[in-house]
Amino acid sequence: MAETVEPVVLPDIEKEQQTATRSELEPGYLVVCWDDPVNLMDYVTHVFQVVFRWPKKKAEFHMLQVHNQGKSVLTRESAERAEHYVHQLQSYSLHATMERDA
Amino acid sequence: MKLIRKDGDSFVFDLGKREKRLLLEVLKLYPLVPGAHHRVSRSADDSRVTENQKLLEEALAERTQENRRQLQAMLNDGQRFKETERGHQLTLSATQMEWLLQVINDIRVGSWLILGQPDDKKGKAIAVNNDNARYYAAMEFCGYFQMMLLDSIERQK
Repeated sequence: MAETVEPVVLPDIEKEQQTATRSELEPGYLVVCWDDPVNLMDYVTHVFQVVFRWPKKKAEFHMLQVHNQGKSVLTRESAERAEHYVHQLQSYSLHATMERDA
Repeated sequence: MKLIRKDGDSFVFDLGKREKRLLLEVLKLYPLVPGAHHRVSRSADDSRVTENQKLLEEALAERTQENRRQLQAMLNDGQRFKETERGHQLTLSATQMEWLLQVINDIRVGSWLILGQPDDKKGKAIAVNNDNARYYAAMEFCGYFQMMLLDSIERQK
């Protein structure tokens, strides 16, 4: 087994600023994690810690919000960063989406 | 499956013979979650999101392909599991643990999908039959291996 797990690296925003439009860079997207009955609570907490580099307490807070309220808004980001986070969360098989912040 | 020590970046686990066989049998089921299962957004009217759905599916497919390649390498690596008096010793780096967690959870979630997405909260029970019994077992075993890996990571913090 090779050690080639994709590292959690954020998009290079500075570089992208040269070509991206203003609306793409504005933090107008919410990254939402939705409840499902299959992902284990400890697993979800772990994934939040890895993907967002959050301390355990914050990760647990959002995990419990998902569990008790059906969803949790994890962060508000530009479209590109929101896509990045959704992709990371989905690679762990979590039910995550990005939604435009109305 | 029990963590017996951590050597630098490596986690060393003790596995019984039956546990090793179960782990390898479960891993052979990868991948189980179909690419189209993941949706970028629930807001279907957002044009940017619609455009990126395909891109994200392609990226996930690439990831799955790479995971499959690594998994095959693991299954074919005779040295991965060292035989001991009681069973086997499995050594994984922190990166490999993270990778294995993703692979195992894909099998767990995929098994759940095959079982019809049972949900206790909604009173939707699992209907186990001869055709899907192996996926019920896989879902439970994956949960067990996940908890062992997560517990090991937590104890080393």
